[in-house]
Amino acid sequence: MPVFKTPFNGYSVKFSPFYEHRLAVGTAQNFGILGNGRLHILDLNPSQPISQFASFDTSDGVYDVAWSESHDSLVLAAVADGSIKLYDLSLPPTSNPIRSLHEHTRETHSIDYNPTRPDSFLSSSWDDTVKLWTIDRPTSVRTFKEHAYCVYSSSWNPRHADVFASASGDCTVRVWDVREPGSTMIIPGHEFEILSVDWNKYDDCILATGSVDKSIKIWDVRNYRVPMSVLNGHGYAVRKVKFSPHRGSLLVSCSYDMSVCMWDYMVEDALVGRYDHHTEFAVGVDMSVLVEGLMASTGWDELVYVWQHGTDPRAQ
Amino acid sequence: MENPNRPQQSGTSAPPKPWERSGSSSGPAPFKPPSSGSTSDIVEASGTARPGEIVTTADANTVANRNALGRPLPSRPWEQQTYNNTTALGGGVGYGSGLNYNSGYGSGTYGSYGAGGSYGGGMYGNSMYRGGMYGGTGSLYGGGMYGGGMYNSSFGGGMGSYGGMGMGMGMGMGMGGPPYGDQDPNNPFAAPSSPPGFWVSFMHVMQGVVTFFGRVAMLIDQNTQAFHMFMSALLQLFDRSGMLYGELARFVFRLLGIRTKPQKVQPPGPNGLPGPHNFPGGPNSLEGPKVAPSGAWDGVWGNEPSN
Repeated sequence: MPVFKTPFNGYSVKFSPFYEHRLAVGTAQNFGILGNGRLHILDLNPSQPISQFASFDTSDGVYDVAWSESHDSLVLAAVADGSIKLYDLSLPPTSNPIRSLHEHTRETHSIDYNPTRPDSFLSSSWDDTVKLWTIDRPTSVRTFKEHAYCVYSSSWNPRHADVFASASGDCTVRVWDVREPGSTMIIPGHEFEILSVDWNKYDDCILATGSVDKSIKIWDVRNYRVPMSVLNGHGYAVRKVKFSPHRGSLLVSCSYDMSVCMWDYMVEDALVGRYDHHTEFAVGVDMSVLVEGLMASTGWDELVYVWQHGTDPRAQ
Repeated sequence: MENPNRPQQSGTSAPPKPWERSGSSSGPAPFKPPSSGSTSDIVEASGTARPGEIVTTADANTVANRNALGRPLPSRPWEQQTYNNTTALGGGVGYGSGLNYNSGYGSGTYGSYGAGGSYGGGMYGNSMYRGGMYGGTGSLYGGGMYGGGMYNSSFGGGMGSYGGMGMGMGMGMGMGGPPYGDQDPNNPFAAPSSPPGFWVSFMHVMQGVVTFFGRVAMLIDQNTQAFHMFMSALLQLFDRSGMLYGELARFVFRLLGIRTKPQKVQPPGPNGLPGPHNFPGGPNSLEGPKVAPSGAWDGVWGNEPSN
C-alpha cells in the first residue's frame, strides 16, 4: 500500500468522513520542538502513489487535525502556538485559513469534531483546559478547566452529543457533559500521564485510555473503580488509542516504541496485530470510517502509511 | 472508489457512521439524554456558557486545586525557577526550591522510574521539548539510557551537564515562544504569521546538534576506555592462565613419574629464590637472569635441570 513522504515530522493523520480516498496529515518541523508546521491533504489513488491535494503552511507545528462532520471541505488544525485554524479546501490557498481561533495560552494538542451534532468541536491544550467551539462563532462557547496539568486529548461520545471525555497529564480522565458546570466523572486511570482517550463506538459506556505507563486500559463509566481490561504490550508510552468504527471491541494504538498495535479487548490474547513499519516514534494513527480495515499512520520518520489491516504497510 | 468529483455537500452531515446502524449493546448509560438544538444554544440554556474565556496558568491552577484528587500535582517544568542550579539534577535535592513544589513528586509518584537523578534527566528533557508531548520520552530517556547501572557511576558529571543543557533549551523556548507565534488577535483572517527567523531557529537546531554530538562523543570515549581495559585484563588473564596450565601440567607429569624436559629453564634467582616469571617487561626483568636463547647456556649455572 502507498507511502507518502512529508517534509516535516508527522504528528497526526485523519481519514475524511466524506471521501474514502482523502486524508489529512498534520506535521511539525524539528520534531515539533521549534519551527513551522504544515497541513497536508492527501488523496489515495488506486495502484498509484499518494498524491497531494493541497497543503497549508503554519507558523508553528501542527499537532492535530480534524475533519468537519458537516462540510466535506472543512479541516481544522491544532497548532502549537495555541491557535486552531480552519481551512476550506474549496477556496484557493491564498484565502486560507478562513478562521484562526486563538484563545489557548499554550499549545493546542488535540482537536475533536462532534460526530453526532456536527456543529461543534473540542480543543484540548497544555494550558490545562478544554474549549468547546461552534462553527458559527468566533469565540469559544465554553472552557472546561479542572485538570491540574496539560490536557492531551479529548473525545466526544459517539452516541451522546453532549458528553465527552478528556485525558490529562494529571493522571486522570474526566467525563463531562457540556450542560453541567463541572465534570461528571473523574477516573484516576493510570499512575502516569494519560496521553489519549477514545470511546467505544458500539458501547457508549466504554472508553479506552493510553498512558505513559505503557498500558492501555478499558473502562466502563458505570463502574470505573477498576478497569475492565488492561492491555500490555507496548514498550514505551502509548501515544494514541482509537476504537474501530466497524467492530466494537477492536482498537488500534500507536506508541513511542515505534509500533502500531491492533487489539481486541474482549478476547484472551488481546494483541491482534503489530506493525513495526515506522522507524521513529509513531504518533498518529487512524482507521477509516468508510472502508473497513483501512488504516493510516504517521510518525517522526516523516512517513505516512496507508494500508489494509492484515497486510504489510511497507509492501508497495 | 467513490466519485471524487461529488458535489460539495455544504451544510449536510457526513455519511452515517457504521455504529449508528446498530443499537447500543450494553445497558443504560449514566448520561442525561441528549438535548436537541445547536450546541451553542444548549450550552447557553444550561447557564454554563462563558464565551471567549481565556485561562491563564495561575487561574487554571487555582481552579484545579478545588478538585483535589489526593494525587500529588506535578510541578510544571516552566514554573520551577531553580533550573540554573544544575546540582539540583544529580541528587534531586533542588526540587524543594521550586515554586510549586509538591511533596511526593520526586519519590512517590515517579519513584519507580529508577534513580531520582535519572528521572530528573527525563523530566528536564520534557521541559526542553515543550512539556507534555514528551511525557513518554521522560520514561524513555530517563529509564533506558541513563537509568542503567553502568553509566551512572562514570556519568555523575554528565548528568549535571545534561541538566544544564536542558536549562539552556528551556530558556531558548521562552525566548522563542511569543514573538513568533503571536498573531494580531484582531485580525483572525490574516495569513499565518511569519515563521521564526531563520538564524534563530538555525542556532537552536545547531545547539541541539552540538549538544547531541557532545553526548555521543562522551559515550564513545567512555566505551573505548572500558573496552580497552576489558581487553587488557583479558589478555593478562590468558597470559597468567597459560602459565598456570604449564605449571600444573608439569606437576602432574612429575606425579606420574614422567620427567619432562622443560622448554624453558627457570633458573633460581641470584639469592636462591626462584626467579621471576619470564614476563616480558616484568618488574625484575632488568636484574633477573635472562633465559638462555638456546641450550647453549644450559650448564652455565651448574644445576642442569634436565638429564
